[in-house]
Amino acid sequence: MSSVKIAKKSIVPEADDASGTMLVLKNIVKTFGNFTALDDVSFGLKKGEVHALLGENGAGKSSLMNVLCGLYAANSGAIYFDGQPVLISKPSDAHSLGIGMVHQHYKLVKTFTALENIQLENGAGPYRASMKNLQQRAIEVCGRIGFELELDRPVEQLSVSEQQRVEILKILTANARIIILDEPTAVLTDEEANQMFGAMRSLAATGCSVVFVTHKLREALNFADRITVMRAGRKIDTVLPSQVDARSLTNLIVGENIIERPQRSKVVGAPKISVSGLSKKGENGFNTLNNLSFKVNSGEIYGIVGVGGNGQNELVSILGGLSRADSGQIELIDHGNIENAEPLELRNLGVTCIYSDRAKYGLANDLSLAENFAISGVLAGEFGNRYWVNNRRIRSAAHQAIETFDIRGVRALHQKTGLLSGGNAQKLVIAREFSRKPSIVIAHSPCRGLDVRAASAVHKHLIHVRDSGGAVVLISEDLDEVLQLSDRMGVMYKGTIVAEFSVPADRNNIGRAMTGHA
Amino acid sequence: MRDIKLKSQRNLFQRFNLEMREHMPVAQQALVIACGLIVGLIFSALMLMVSGVSASDLLNEFIISIFTNSRNINAVLSFSAPLIIVGLAASIGFKARFWNIGIEGQVIFGAIGATVIANYDIGPDSTRIVLMALVAALFGMAWMILPLFLRLKLQVSEIISTLLLNYIAFNFLLHMLYGAWKDPVTSFPNSKIYDMSERLHKIATLDVSVSILISIVLVIVVTWILFFSRFGYAMKFVYANPSMAKAVGINFGIMLSVAALASGALAGLTGFTISAGIDSRLTQGFFVGYGFSGILIGFLARNNPLLVVFFSLMMAILMVAGQTLQVFYQIPFAMVQLIQATIVICVAASEFFIHHRIQVVS
Repeated sequence: MSSVKIAKKSIVPEADDASGTMLVLKNIVKTFGNFTALDDVSFGLKKGEVHALLGENGAGKSSLMNVLCGLYAANSGAIYFDGQPVLISKPSDAHSLGIGMVHQHYKLVKTFTALENIQLENGAGPYRASMKNLQQRAIEVCGRIGFELELDRPVEQLSVSEQQRVEILKILTANARIIILDEPTAVLTDEEANQMFGAMRSLAATGCSVVFVTHKLREALNFADRITVMRAGRKIDTVLPSQVDARSLTNLIVGENIIERPQRSKVVGAPKISVSGLSKKGENGFNTLNNLSFKVNSGEIYGIVGVGGNGQNELVSILGGLSRADSGQIELIDHGNIENAEPLELRNLGVTCIYSDRAKYGLANDLSLAENFAISGVLAGEFGNRYWVNNRRIRSAAHQAIETFDIRGVRALHQKTGLLSGGNAQKLVIAREFSRKPSIVIAHSPCRGLDVRAASAVHKHLIHVRDSGGAVVLISEDLDEVLQLSDRMGVMYKGTIVAEFSVPADRNNIGRAMTGHA
Repeated sequence: MRDIKLKSQRNLFQRFNLEMREHMPVAQQALVIACGLIVGLIFSALMLMVSGVSASDLLNEFIISIFTNSRNINAVLSFSAPLIIVGLAASIGFKARFWNIGIEGQVIFGAIGATVIANYDIGPDSTRIVLMALVAALFGMAWMILPLFLRLKLQVSEIISTLLLNYIAFNFLLHMLYGAWKDPVTSFPNSKIYDMSERLHKIATLDVSVSILISIVLVIVVTWILFFSRFGYAMKFVYANPSMAKAVGINFGIMLSVAALASGALAGLTGFTISAGIDSRLTQGFFVGYGFSGILIGFLARNNPLLVVFFSLMMAILMVAGQTLQVFYQIPFAMVQLIQATIVICVAASEFFIHHRIQVVS
């Protein structure tokens, strides 16, 4: 019965509810070539509300928001702002209407400091004066929403979560009235996410409207005033959190039920990899890694959880052979020390690494799917020899991998990889890395930005490696993920493992350890 | 409150929307580039007509006499051999994102290397020409070592270092030609003329220079390396995403070094084919029109060795016709460079339509 009520509500266009409606997108259509990203989508946003836009990867959520903020021009459809039709044909139009967006992939100049990035977006008038002005505003906003951020550090030295804070500050210092957040919590801890949503709520109370794009049900249910669900380029429904529960919402999103249950390891074997006393000095002279040690056994997923920026990136890059530690050892029990091994050597030893920055370390976006899939195999001599790379065999292998790993949105094997949505791009990385049957997997936030279905596929592959006697190191900022997947976990804080827990463990104890109160 | 004007209608200009295009069939890409090329040629023809060459003369000099007169065909082929090699030199460097702007310097040093062997009669007569080629390649490569070292160890941009080394190479060339290597007979600033055994001859039956054969072999080798070998496969990743290439286990430093050194070696060989194949001595201006043409050809051919052949032939035709224009129509050599630049700009601009699509929105 309640579904009837919901359906009835959604038939009435939000524009009719004239009292509080701030923004209406009506019958938006957007195509890319033959592909329809948005198929006649309408969306209403009320003044002072927090609105969740929920859906799988590739459902069209980000496309819709990109139309709103002027990055995409819709093929047809209209946008009404305060009841008047407006034309948003470029980002500056959106900017002057007071619409600000934090993109999933941050648009920051890496060599500039946080404050300079803010100034780049919002600076007006003389440089010094506007810097000073913006610094005060930024500090004020930081205080209000409880952000900790060194404004004078170059963005490239900040962790992903700190970079996001810079992005949020960028639009908040511009006095935006409509704030769009694309996957805002993908890199935040529970605590930070709660804080951020608290901040958004207080912004909404002052008359701003907040849209956040997400695929996490919990967030939508807990923090939104209204939830709009999209699937495959269409709007499915707009509902109130009180009218739905997790199960019915999942149904709306995927059209089926996907529930992941923890599966603990059955056979934990002998130690497989041991890291001891790893230290590395950062650029500012402090240790990014500080005498870090852990051991992982075969048949075990070892989770490392921690707030971003506590040395995770450095740890992963050392484990993957991209950089060297100042001191310490990494030992493969049945091989020997590997702290000086090159990436290729590590891969040939069965160690594979999934980096959190997929665009930088995972895929070459300008090359084709087949090439991105095949490169590991080609380097290992799988497709032909040094003198001849057999493209026919690559194509058939890639074709098979796309089937096996359920990579969607593939129109042709020679299609550029950059056109895949986040989840499918990650599946491609997984397909490449796992077709070589690694025995040790280092995965850093492998499900960041992925929807339920894609995340559960990635988890399945990690579990498969574990169950076939491999060892998995899962480094993540998402406590839920770590608690669900790992058999044992450590908490990383200021470059070292401050506490270890066997799972299941008490969330509160872990939370205390993550903030340095172990 | 807001200074933006609220508009609901799109003006004519706003009805057209540019959009990134994900993929264009190769045939269509070729068509777009051909259109760019044709537009460039039309502009060039207009410029020449404005400066007093009639349309019929243009047709005659650029097409009829080039393709019917055997002497002109020969000239085009012998000019195109070094152009092809120098185009390959640029392409193989660019393929690894190593922006070798110092091709001219390496061409100069290649020719200096060849002349060292020729001048001091090193090695037996019968194989001296082979030794000259090898040493030219080696000298070209050696001229690349410093920029490569600076790039790998100190992250100094190779664009600057290779460019600056051009001037050093040029001045060193002058130093040799006005000093130790001055022609003993005429006292002109060029090396003494190479012996017959030190020149690249014509193949008697075909009446084309050996250098064109060398260039064809090199095209085949480079095509194979870039398109079919494992090295070339890895190179694509070095170009597309260096960080990712390192992460999947490609040795970035080695790839970059090999590409840069190969680029230098090919440029050195170019110097050899000019001095031993065309001039038969080392002159002070032998490299003019070759060094930077290589970069243009590499760019126009989008680092594809087969297209390098096509664009090198075009450049060679332009050079031959340009010489005729200079002699018979008093058109300055700068005009040839102007035509080159016009064509490059038109082709570069046409690439825009490969990557974008114009969409009409309502």
